[in-house]
Amino acid sequence: MKNHGAPLEGACKSYEEDLVLYYYGESGAAERAAMQQHMSECGRCRNFVEDLGRVLPQMAPQPELPQSFWDSYFRETMAKLDAHETRQSWWSSWLAPLNGWLVPAFGTMAVAALAITLVLEKSDLVSFVYTPAPSIPVEVLVDSNQLEFFKSLEILESLGTLEKLDASKPQPKTSENNNRKPTTSVDYA
Amino acid sequence: MESTHDLGDEVLVSLCQQGQADCFEVLVRRYMEKAFHIAYNFTRNTETAKDISQDAFLRAYTNIKRFDGRSSFYTWFYRIVVNLCLDHARRSGRVMWESLDKTAGESGGQRQLVDTQYQPDQQAIAGEATRRANATLESMPNKQRTAFLLRNQQGLPIADIAKVMKTTEGTVRVYLHRAVAALRHSLVEFV
Repeated sequence: MKNHGAPLEGACKSYEEDLVLYYYGESGAAERAAMQQHMSECGRCRNFVEDLGRVLPQMAPQPELPQSFWDSYFRETMAKLDAHETRQSWWSSWLAPLNGWLVPAFGTMAVAALAITLVLEKSDLVSFVYTPAPSIPVEVLVDSNQLEFFKSLEILESLGTLEKLDASKPQPKTSENNNRKPTTSVDYA
Repeated sequence: MESTHDLGDEVLVSLCQQGQADCFEVLVRRYMEKAFHIAYNFTRNTETAKDISQDAFLRAYTNIKRFDGRSSFYTWFYRIVVNLCLDHARRSGRVMWESLDKTAGESGGQRQLVDTQYQPDQQAIAGEATRRANATLESMPNKQRTAFLLRNQQGLPIADIAKVMKTTEGTVRVYLHRAVAALRHSLVEFV
């Protein structure tokens, strides 16, 4: 074991990446020979690779688990797969009637319904968008009370007209006429 | 007649795709330890690693018909495991590492980064070195950590790591070098 406390030396910069690959056995034959040649002459690079060989295998160790763990793991995994399969088969049996000719039929109906809905919504939308909002001043708008008022005015106006017509006619001097009383008396003021 | 246990991955996958779901059991038995260990390397938690790796099998099973055989089954499957690990890390904000002291203690201190056989002060140094090395791993960018863990812990060749990570071998070499350089830098005072 290397003397503890000694700093982990860096390799020559131009060799460092290749030395990492060399350590992992990822160099080609030519590169491997070149690295070995360089390390025979360079103590820093040689130490660098030795340090990697000491440190890296101990990084992030794996837990040592008993066989019972793996048996349980396998059973659980298969149970999860079975549960998934059961869920899928339940759905597929439920949806089975939709297979075959029913699927295109339902599809066509759905498309038709969607198209009708869109057309209706669009026409509503068009009328909503393109119909100009009434720009009648509030003062002009009438409510139900005002409407009754205007109706009574019309009646009164027509009564006045009738009375004027009556007054302009020559009065026949008969006893019936003398006994007759005015039916309506309206004060316009 | 040849047992399904002797069949290669590609044949088993092909049989699964034809509806022989029981062939997937063989793939589970074949890859469960590797899947668990990859997940453990990322999460440092036994239960989480178990859940993630089992979820990976479930996803592989449900998507087996989409496997087109352009890569080997194990690189395809490792990619599922790694993606789930990275998703988990993103969701949890950071990788939840178990106590490093506990990890070292579980194996009687054998796994600390320096030899601790003789002197108590050296044990303290070893503990600190282990903590720092693991903190460095935790703080690494995901791609560097993935490349490092797949190479250093799983022993995957760089060519396969490139397939798992869907990148070039040259990029994996750079990730690997940066990860090792970061670890070396973090340990420069201790080893």
